[in-house]
Amino acid sequence: MSVGTLRDVKIKGMACAVPENIVESAGFNERFGAENVEKFVKMTGVRQRHVASPQQTASDLCFAVADRLLTELEWERDSVGAVVFVSQSPDYRLPATACVLHKRLGLGENCVAFDVNLGCSGYVYGLFIAASLMASGDIERVLLLAGDTSGFVSPNDRSTAMLFGDGGSVTAMEKDPGAEIHYLFYTRGDGFKNLLIPSGACRNMDGSKIITEREDGNQRSDFDLYMNGAEIFSFTITDVPLAINQFLSHFKLTVDAIDMFVLHQANLFMLKHIAKKIGVPFEKVPLTIDRFGNTSVTSIPLTIVDQCAGMARKDELKLILSGFGVGLSWGVVSLELDASVCLPIIYTNEYYTDGGL
Amino acid sequence: MLSNKEKIVLLEEMLELEDGELTEETVLEDLDCWDSMAAIELIALVDEKFGKALKGQQIRQFKTVEDILDIMG
Repeated sequence: MSVGTLRDVKIKGMACAVPENIVESAGFNERFGAENVEKFVKMTGVRQRHVASPQQTASDLCFAVADRLLTELEWERDSVGAVVFVSQSPDYRLPATACVLHKRLGLGENCVAFDVNLGCSGYVYGLFIAASLMASGDIERVLLLAGDTSGFVSPNDRSTAMLFGDGGSVTAMEKDPGAEIHYLFYTRGDGFKNLLIPSGACRNMDGSKIITEREDGNQRSDFDLYMNGAEIFSFTITDVPLAINQFLSHFKLTVDAIDMFVLHQANLFMLKHIAKKIGVPFEKVPLTIDRFGNTSVTSIPLTIVDQCAGMARKDELKLILSGFGVGLSWGVVSLELDASVCLPIIYTNEYYTDGGL
Repeated sequence: MLSNKEKIVLLEEMLELEDGELTEETVLEDLDCWDSMAAIELIALVDEKFGKALKGQQIRQFKTVEDILDIMG
C-alpha cells in the first residue's frame, strides 16, 4: 500500500453537473425481459440515469460547473495554478482535454494542465494529485475536474447497458494551513482485462464496430466496454473493506468519528456488503446510484454534492471517500469538508460548438 | 460446519427457489435463475457465511450444485 498525509490543502468549492435527459431502466424491459430488468434494478439499485447526447462530452459537464464555481468563489481566472482533468472519456486522443478546458475557462498561462486516465478510483487520485501539486511548489489553487460519459457501452450488453450514467464535477482546492488529507492507494494491474475497451486507442486499432455475441454471452463490438462483473465484485468485496480497515487503523480513526463514508457508486448490493464488512451503519453511506447510475469518476463528488448542497457552514463534515474498480485500482482518502461549499446539482444539455477544425 | 442440506437451503434462498427445488445433482445450466447476477450473489454469500473469496473463474467451472457445496467447505 501507498499511504501518507498531505497538509495545508482544503476544498473551497464543489459542484456537479449531469445531462437533463433521463433514461429509465424499465425502458429496457422489451430488450432484456421485464424479469431480468427487475432483478438488475434490485441488485444494482439503478432505477434511472442521466445520459448525455452524442454531442455532449464529460468536459462540457465539467466546464459548466467549473465556470459557475469560479464566479461563485470570485477567484481570478489567472489565480488557478493547475487544472487536472480526470476522465476515461476525453474529448480527443490528443491534446489533453485539460488544455481545452484551460482555454474555455479563460485561465492564465502560469498554469499546469494535464489529464489523468482513471475511472472508479479517479476522484480519490485527483484529490491526492491536486494536494501533491500544492505541497510541492508555488501553486496556490487547483481545479480538479472529474467527469465521464458512457457512450462506449453496447445497448445490447445486459452487463453494462443499464448501469452507467454521465456526469461532471469540479472541486476547487486551495492552500489552507492546518487542513489535512490522508490517503491510501493500491493497484493490481493483473486485473486490467476485467474492465476494458479493447479498441479505439493504439493497441487494437483495427477492431470491429459490429455488435456480435461474445464469449460471455453478451453482445457488443470491439469498441464497447467489456466488464467481468463477477471478478470485479469478488475483488471489491475482498480488497476494499480491507483497505478501508487498514486506513482507519493506520490513521487511528473510528467509524463513529466519521460522518459519511462516500463510496464509489458501483452497485447497491456491493455497497451494502462493503458497509457490513467494515461495520458501518448504512445510513452513513449516502447513495446516488438509484437516480444517477454508476457515474464512474463523478460518483463520489456527485454523492457528496447531493448530500451536502443546502447544508449550513457549521456542518463541517469528516468524510472517508473510497474509489475502486477499473485498473484494477483502489484508494481511500479522508478529509474535512464545509458542507456549505457545495453548489446544488446542475442539469444541462449544453456542449461546446467550437471543438472541430 | 453446515450440512449439505443446510447449504442447499442457503442456495435456494439466494436464488429465490422453493424448498426442495435443488439437489446436489442439479445441473446449474438447467436453472433459469443461474445467471451473472446469481454469480455475484454467490460470491457475496460465500464471503459472508464461509469467509472465503470466490473468484468468477471458479464459478464458471461449476457444473452442479455439488460443486458449489464443495467450495463452501
